Amino acid sequence: MQAPIIALNAVDYAIIAGYILVMVLVGYSLKKYMKTGEDFFLSGRSLPSWITGLAFLSANLGALEIIGMVANSAKYGIATVHFYWVGAIPAMVFLGVFMMPFYYGSRVRTVPEYLKRRYNERTRGLNAISFAIMTILMSGISLYAMALLFKVMLGWPFHTSVLFAAVVVLLYVFWGGLSSSIYNEVIQFFLIWLGLLPIVFLGLRQVGGFAGLAAKFAATMREPLLHSIKFLGTSNNPLGVDWFGVVMGLGFVLSFGYWTTDFLVVQRALASKNINAARMTPIIAAFPKMLVPILVVIPGLVALLVLPQYSQSAVPATDYNSTLILLMKYYLPNGLLGLAITALLASFMSGMAGNVTAFNTIWTYDIYGSYIRKGRPDAHYVKVGKWATVVGVLISIGTAYIALGFKNLMDYMQLIFSFFNAPLFATFLLGMFWRGATGAGGFWGLLVGILTAAGHYLLFKLGVIHYHSDMAANFYQAWWAWLADFVVTIGVSLFTAKRDPKELAGLVFGLTPKPKAHRRWYARPAVWGALAIAVAVALNLIFW
Amino acid sequence: MSDPIETQGPETPDSGAGMSQGHVLDLKLPIGWLLSAYGVLLTVYGLVTKKEMYQISLGLNLNLAWGILMIVIGGGFLLAAFLKKGRKAG
Repeated sequence: MQAPIIALNAVDYAIIAGYILVMVLVGYSLKKYMKTGEDFFLSGRSLPSWITGLAFLSANLGALEIIGMVANSAKYGIATVHFYWVGAIPAMVFLGVFMMPFYYGSRVRTVPEYLKRRYNERTRGLNAISFAIMTILMSGISLYAMALLFKVMLGWPFHTSVLFAAVVVLLYVFWGGLSSSIYNEVIQFFLIWLGLLPIVFLGLRQVGGFAGLAAKFAATMREPLLHSIKFLGTSNNPLGVDWFGVVMGLGFVLSFGYWTTDFLVVQRALASKNINAARMTPIIAAFPKMLVPILVVIPGLVALLVLPQYSQSAVPATDYNSTLILLMKYYLPNGLLGLAITALLASFMSGMAGNVTAFNTIWTYDIYGSYIRKGRPDAHYVKVGKWATVVGVLISIGTAYIALGFKNLMDYMQLIFSFFNAPLFATFLLGMFWRGATGAGGFWGLLVGILTAAGHYLLFKLGVIHYHSDMAANFYQAWWAWLADFVVTIGVSLFTAKRDPKELAGLVFGLTPKPKAHRRWYARPAVWGALAIAVAVALNLIFW
Repeated sequence: MSDPIETQGPETPDSGAGMSQGHVLDLKLPIGWLLSAYGVLLTVYGLVTKKEMYQISLGLNLNLAWGILMIVIGGGFLLAAFLKKGRKAG
């Protein structure tokens, strides 16, 4: 076996053990609050918005995301910020300001449940089943990637890592349900920043700050890496995507699809204690989200300048996925090293826990409680949810071993999103903002959207359509899947029976009384949302 | 922390029968304890380790500096939690 890249000592292991101990204790202490289904699946709808907001962000800040984005930054340069300032902020603000009143206001417990009330049973079934499969695959990917990383990096045995992480996640989700998951995500948020900022600090110090960074790139003729927008006129830029792909594919369809319809993130907002807190959840998350590029983009750029593996004389086609790990080895002494490893471990485990909690909720409410055993007492469903957690973790272990067969996990994940989330966003957009959308329209639109993504993927893989990069293919696939869903939903709706507008009250814009504005202007979601958009625009201009 | 958003506004939905009483575990406590414990560990470790170990971190004893920072942040969370508890009790 290859020698591990990083050697840990007792202090590092103490830091890792401390985190696991705290997580299990938090899960155990939540056990006594888990009395009803709402407690277990929706945290009793009782959490303040700072907690749900940070969890909302962290649910998406998994270790794969961080490692992948550092890799993207080493590969594509500053253009990586598009995943944040174009690909996240507008969608998060839109969710909070415009969509959350329908999600939270209608008191639905899950995203598929909204689809049932707005469209029909079939639409819900299609979404519930595809989402359940997707979450369990994602949870397996987290588990697999973690075990693989720790094997290469630290020399931990693969099977032991898989089993150990699965047991820890199982324990705290079994005891504390969604609350455990959310609390872990908030703790992870702080660990990620505290664990990775030393790398950013040391990196900038070594290259001479931002000015030194820019000067060194200019001196080596790699200036395009330092601009986010300037070179997007054609697809002849580091990303290999033109402005249409970035704005429509990533900024509009992929990002809105993910942030506004993926139950994994929406569930966090539904756990809020009131509608104002629910609407503030994604908006509070937007501000730290804008700063995440500090953690991922700067290390990627620094790596190109300081790591011998990435010097221009080195062999090209370097494996960028290990960029972050190499930087940790390069800069961090034992002690801080343990903290950084703990941050990664925390985000792997919370990535898995988030998927498992989303899975047990969808399984219990939308599949078991709708098609298998209807109308049982609440306590029965809590029990089912707990057992679904056990089964979900077991299947995740299975899918972790399936993931062994895939070469590039980030591409695999983006692909899954473009299949399921991108078309779903059209279904939601029409459902929430056009009262004419019918049940049949919703179902056929969603189905055709998913099939369009599949067809596009097939044509791309067979070489019938060409793009400059896999990323461009993903962006355009998302766009076409969305468009197909949008057009088919409208087309079918025009020829099928409309719902009685009275049934749609609370579900559709224009048939729902506007949420009362908060007395104090500084607690209004729209005010903070507008501010978030303004800051994002300013950041885009600065790094043009 | 006087977070304006955290305070219950008039739009809080009625707590009808069957609603939970809320999860009273204050998350500031475990965060505060964990970060302070890490801070103490790193500070002590930074004090007992030799300078040579910090060549890779550009000669800076970052364990010490970061440990102190984490004690401050963790302590802040604990302080906020205790102040809140005191307010409720008083």
